[in-house]
Amino acid sequence: MTRLGYGVVALMGAAAVGLGGYGVTGGGAALRLPSLLPLGGLELTLDPLGGLFLALIGSAAIPASIYAFGDAAGARRGRFAYAVFVTSMCVVPVAANTMTFLIAWELMSLASYFLVLHDRQSKGSVNAAWIYAVMTHAGLACLLAGMLLLGADVGSPRFADWRAAAPTLTPTTRDAAFLLLALGFAGKAGVVPLHVWLPLAHPAAPSHVSALMSGVMIKLGVYGLLRVSLDWLGIGPSWWGAALLIAGAASSLIGVLYALVEHDLKRLLAFHSIENIGIILLGIGSAALYRVAGLDALAALGLIAALYHTVNHAMFKALLFLGAGAVVHATGTRNMEAMGGLIKRMPWTAVCFLVGSAAIAALPPLNGFVSEWLTFLALFQNMRLEAVGQNLVFTLGIASLALTGGLAMACFVKAFGITFLALPRSDAAARAHEASRPVRVAMLTLVTACVVLGVGPTLVVPTLGSVASAVLGTAPEAISGDWLTVRVSGQFASVSTAAIAVVLAGSFCAPLVALRLVGASRRTRAYETWGCGRIVQTPRMEYTATAFASPFKRVFDFFYRPTKRLDIEFHPESRFFVERIEYENPTRSIFEDWLYRPALRLLHGGARAAGALQSGSANQYLAYILAALLLMLVLA
Amino acid sequence: MLRQLRTAVRTGIVTEACAPVGEVQRIGERLASEIVRLFGRSLAIRQVDAGSCNGCELEISGLTGPHYDLERFGLHFVASPRHADCLLVTGPVTRNMAEALRRTWEATPDPKLVVAVGDCGLDGGLFRGSYAVVGGVADVVPVDAVIPGCPPPPAALLAGLLEALGRLPR
Repeated sequence: MTRLGYGVVALMGAAAVGLGGYGVTGGGAALRLPSLLPLGGLELTLDPLGGLFLALIGSAAIPASIYAFGDAAGARRGRFAYAVFVTSMCVVPVAANTMTFLIAWELMSLASYFLVLHDRQSKGSVNAAWIYAVMTHAGLACLLAGMLLLGADVGSPRFADWRAAAPTLTPTTRDAAFLLLALGFAGKAGVVPLHVWLPLAHPAAPSHVSALMSGVMIKLGVYGLLRVSLDWLGIGPSWWGAALLIAGAASSLIGVLYALVEHDLKRLLAFHSIENIGIILLGIGSAALYRVAGLDALAALGLIAALYHTVNHAMFKALLFLGAGAVVHATGTRNMEAMGGLIKRMPWTAVCFLVGSAAIAALPPLNGFVSEWLTFLALFQNMRLEAVGQNLVFTLGIASLALTGGLAMACFVKAFGITFLALPRSDAAARAHEASRPVRVAMLTLVTACVVLGVGPTLVVPTLGSVASAVLGTAPEAISGDWLTVRVSGQFASVSTAAIAVVLAGSFCAPLVALRLVGASRRTRAYETWGCGRIVQTPRMEYTATAFASPFKRVFDFFYRPTKRLDIEFHPESRFFVERIEYENPTRSIFEDWLYRPALRLLHGGARAAGALQSGSANQYLAYILAALLLMLVLA
Repeated sequence: MLRQLRTAVRTGIVTEACAPVGEVQRIGERLASEIVRLFGRSLAIRQVDAGSCNGCELEISGLTGPHYDLERFGLHFVASPRHADCLLVTGPVTRNMAEALRRTWEATPDPKLVVAVGDCGLDGGLFRGSYAVVGGVADVVPVDAVIPGCPPPPAALLAGLLEALGRLPR
């Protein structure tokens, strides 16, 4: 029964891919049922951008459901919420008016709230779900206010009417609507400093749900940001693009910095989602800025980079979350310090996770490389803009993207190395077993997607180009090239990941072939790892994740603000015998200390002040009513 | 600044003059040509102290100093047996170090040379028969050459290495 449910969701995913693909290739469709909902009714429209996100949701839902087939088949709870979650996500990108959009959006949030609350016994889980609910509803309030503002000003709840009326709006209305909508969508996308719910909610949810939340749900925030900055409100002032670029630069850097010192495998991946959303925003921000300056070809390039990274991140992050899920399922812990040696015990999972790690670290020839390369090219060409302030913002984006790339690489060396290599650090890790067949199938599907998107950008880029030109309303161009090479902006740059793949494979095989040709001895002798002649070697002597992150903690200590706590318990007879040593080196979150805590204190104070009005005495309430009545009479 | 320059000019060069071409130089050059012939570049040595009194270590570290300067002959001390062609073992092998020496020998890639240094390395020397000592190096791992002496002077060390190289299978 449970399996049937997940099977139906997988089929729905396939249908979404088909329909979305139809939309991307230019096929339009519309559905209108005015009687179903108040205020405009249910209205769905398929356009290229919505089609792309629809296809994206479908293509991530298929492997996630296959994974659930193997991993969550025993768990009865969460099936219905999962189906609602996927369905409502599919509706969001095709919704064509305020009512439809907000209902789908809220259903998506509620369903994911219940999925985060999967483990109702755990206090951390309940806390995570609570923070998620608060953050997501704060975002919804912003969206509601922004959409009502626009709807009242334009006089229609339909998005198509907003698009048509955008040039006639006053700048103040447009700026206010942009701010409100962008805040709401950025909260869902996990843009810094609205990211706090992400590292809590993603680990708490079951892994197939984390894969979808991180892979596609936060992408719907990106979808909203795309609509707001490039579509619904027309061509906005340049500060919109600059704000997006700066937010992207901050998110990418801060996300990866937090990920580096995180030793909970799923939380680490959640922080990387923040980083990747930042990279996507760099593309969107550059597209918005170029569009204002009238450089349509470059705007299309920035948008293509952002869309490409959106697709890529959905694929490799879903892969990594499924891999992490398999590891957590096998070891029973999310703490990397208790793992190790899993490559011997779960080789399939290890290889899949390695491909995902290489992809997210943007190593050629995988997909992450292509989209980060395109993002770099979009940013590099800011010299064609003649505004010093904007050029500086672009430079900030370039620098943060470069640093982010390096740090992400280091982080995944840690994530893969500590989790899968060396000796198992706990009994649970030593007893780990390979993931079940559906789980492996799900991961291999995503591995294939990562490789295809990496090796075949010549197939992907023109499709994304047509989506970008539909959004920007320009002629499709910007990127040319033959079947092997992608060429950007004329002679500016070109790359061929297929050729890189061939060269890499060749240079890997060449020594093997050459050694055989010269007749080198193939005698091997296996012996234990060199441990300086030590007799007893235990996993406690291995390199740990904490040790790996320690240099970064020291270099960036102005950001992490680590505190040190050393607690030593001596033997009562003599201080020369130590009974117990506890060492802790936790980091403190800037956002929690300097933003959320003061804000919450303010809120508490305000609520307490307002609470004075509520005395509970009936006489006082009657007096309030009288006062209100008198006031109304005077005013009227 | 000026005072510093003046001092530098007045003091001149205070290091010792280059040693005349002596025994070390002669053996070293033969060793260098042999190493180049056998290995192409240099001989990587891992020194193992299996329980020595550190007399031999003093002489060995003397080899690396500017006076003898063994690196000019293509000899090179490395930090791990994984990188080594040759183990230079000193001291009588104590019970505590026997297993470690065996592991070091296992960790060294083939083909490898083992050179036992000093009278203790030969057969336990002064400490032979002690309850804490297993014996000479040859009692624990196969030895290719022995450099006797207590401690052997640097020239003898180089000569011993030359002899060990001569025993490598062609």
